[in-house]
Order: sequence, then structure tokens, then C-alpha cells
Amino acid sequence: MTILEIWLGILQGFRVTALVTLYGLVFAIPFGLIFGVAQYLTTGPARFVVTSIIEFWRSSAVIILLFVFYYALPLAGLALSAMTVSAMVLGLNIGGYASQAVRAGLQALDRGQKEAGHALGLSRSTILLRIELPQALVAMSPTFINQLIQLVKATSLVSLVTLTDMTFRAKEISQIEYDPVPIYSSLLLAYFIVCYPVALFGRWVERRINPAREARCAV
Amino acid sequence: MQFDVAFALSTVPTILGAIGMTLLVAAVSCVGASAVGFGLEVVRRSGGLGGLFVRFLIDFIRATPVLVWLYCLYFILPFYGIRLGALATGIIGLSLYYSGYLAEVFKAGIDAIPNGQGEAARALGLGRIDMTIFVIAPQMLRNIAAPMGNYFVSILKATPYLAVLAVPEMLGRAFDIASETYRYAEPLTVAGLIFLGLALLISLAIKRLEVRLMGPTTR
Repeated sequence: MTILEIWLGILQGFRVTALVTLYGLVFAIPFGLIFGVAQYLTTGPARFVVTSIIEFWRSSAVIILLFVFYYALPLAGLALSAMTVSAMVLGLNIGGYASQAVRAGLQALDRGQKEAGHALGLSRSTILLRIELPQALVAMSPTFINQLIQLVKATSLVSLVTLTDMTFRAKEISQIEYDPVPIYSSLLLAYFIVCYPVALFGRWVERRINPAREARCAV
Repeated sequence: MQFDVAFALSTVPTILGAIGMTLLVAAVSCVGASAVGFGLEVVRRSGGLGGLFVRFLIDFIRATPVLVWLYCLYFILPFYGIRLGALATGIIGLSLYYSGYLAEVFKAGIDAIPNGQGEAARALGLGRIDMTIFVIAPQMLRNIAAPMGNYFVSILKATPYLAVLAVPEMLGRAFDIASETYRYAEPLTVAGLIFLGLALLISLAIKRLEVRLMGPTTR
């Protein structure tokens, strides 16, 4: 098998890799925003509930979460496609990390920002939406870009629940022909080609926003 | 078929029996990743061609999925006649992969040490190695205890990836039960909950350690 055939084979899985990433974001972005803001605003028992939900998605081992939801949801009468389950689990896992970035970004803002908003007679929701969130989200954008890379890399797990992504295709090809060295090094390189430009973009954003600070990254 | 709580409970002892393997893999990988990561960071700081290569290697690791690294080592090494077994391959894979992340942590920790420390060490006539071990490393460790601990939790949560290589850790044991009984949801849920408990426990311990280490400096 020529190197070109290997690359064409892996490329056939790119669509699924891209789709899981995209659908994953559909879960991750709202979850990260809503729960990050909720953790920032709530206190007492409400905060405990919010934190518990975040910790469930963030602190669980994502590979097990994927299997659990893949096998357990049908028992609860929810027959979702492998694609939906994968996007949901990977998305909410990354969304859990993102929520912590949202909360940390909000907490790091100078208190004067909120106080000035109050002094101007703005409502709490206006202060949040027009003053706090825009600043917090911009300040944390390098972290979000890092988390996008984590999501792309995590999509390799969907090969374990029968989705034909790049990793699945590589395994398939290596079963047809025993030639692991070019197949698996091509697969590594394929992920690198997808993720590295995103990482470089993240660094550029980081330099634009804050020349002194290095990007923090969660896995 | 419904979720059978009694059956789930009956799988707990078997799965918990593999917790030793999980913790062993995690502990050895943490030590390995720290050692390799520190070595990478030292080479990166020394500059030159080696430094450039290490910088690229770290970027490469961070832009590729851990699952694919495990496949690479597992399938490519035997091709060159290196037969290590699944357990050793898995530990080497996790160590190598997370060394890329820990090198970044070490970088931040070393950057935070004032220049005067290195200058003072040189003024006292310490060699490069003595300075690294006795002056830089202890101060660095204090700076990085928290982020390092977070990556240790990440390594713990990555140990179930080794089930893919048929290492008998907790997820592997859960799959053994599943394939014997044709019930997947219960054992996988049990494994997931044990991992969640472990991860939360260790996160809590790290937070406490952080408070103790940072106590004297934050007046």
C-alpha cells in the first residue's frame, strides 16, 4: 500500500472527526457559558448543585463516560446515535473545563467594573452581558482555543464506539495490510496538521491579548 | 433490559480488585512523565539544535491524541522487534505523552524564579547540575505543585485508555464482566464512579497541599 493510499484512507475519516468536533462544540459552548456564569453568580446550595454538575462532566474519565452513555442510555429508553452520544459526552466534558475558564475570567475582573455598572444604574443582567462577559471571554480566549484542541484530540475516542473517524480508518487500513509504521505515523501527522495551526493561532491571540502571560491549558 | 442496581453492586468487588493496577500505572506514569518532562525542559532551555528539536517535540505531542500515541507504540515497536508487553507500552506511552505537558509546567515554574537565584548560585561557585538540583528544582516544585497535581489527575483519568491495549486495570476488568454477562451499563457505570471518586479525592488533596505550600508566602 502506497503512502498516498494510506493518506487517502485516513482522509476518509476526516469528515467524522470534523463533525464530532463541530457537534461537540454545540454542547460545549452553551454548557461552558451557562454553567460558568451560574457558578459565578450563585451561592449556597444552588452553587453546590451547579458545581456538582460541572465536576461530574469535568472530573470523570472521558473514555469511561463515553462507554457508559453509549451503553446505558438505551437502557433508559434513549436510543441516540453513536454520533450524538459522542458529541454530547465529549462536548460536555470540554464544556466542564470551559465553564471553569469562564468563571475564572469573571472572577479575575476588577470589582470596579461591576461597581461602575451599578453606579450607572445598569441592571445586573446588563452588567453581566455588556460589561463583565465581553471582557472575561476575551481574556480567556487563549484557554478556549486550547480546549478546542483538546476536543479535536478527544474525538479519536469515537473510534471505540464504531464511528469511522481518522483513527478508526487507520485501524481499518492496518487490518487490511500489516504495515503499522507508515499507517500510524501518518495518523499522528494527520492530527498534528489539524491541531497545530489552531495552537499557533492560540499563541498569536495570546500575544495580542496579554504579552506577558503564558497560556494555561487544561486536559 | 433495565439498569440492575443489585447486579451493579455485585460487580464492585471485582472492579475494585483492579484498583491496584490502576494506581500502579498512574503512579509510575506520573514519575516517568515528571522525569522525562523535566529532562525535556532542561534540554529546551539549553538551546541549540537539541533545544529546537525538543521544542518541536513538545508542540507535536500537544497537538496529537494520547490514544493514537498508545496505538503507535503498541503496533510500531514490535515491528522493529521491541516487545515490551501491553503494561510497559502503556506506561511508556502515558509517560511520554504527559511529559510534553509537564515540561510546560516546569517551564512556567522555572520562569517564575527570580534571576538573582541563578546568579547567586553561580557566584557561590555551584556547577550547572548542582544549581539545577539544589537551587532551581526545590523552588520550582513549590511554584508548580498545583498545576503538576492537576496533570497527575489527568494521568489517572487517562489510565483507562490502557484497557484498549488489554491491560487489566479497572475499565478492562469492567469490560471483562460485560463480555461475560452481556451487560455493559452496570460494570461500566461502577468503573466510572470509582474513577470519579478517585479523581475528586486526589483533587481535594492537591488543593490542601497547595494551601499548605503557599501558606507562608501569601501573608
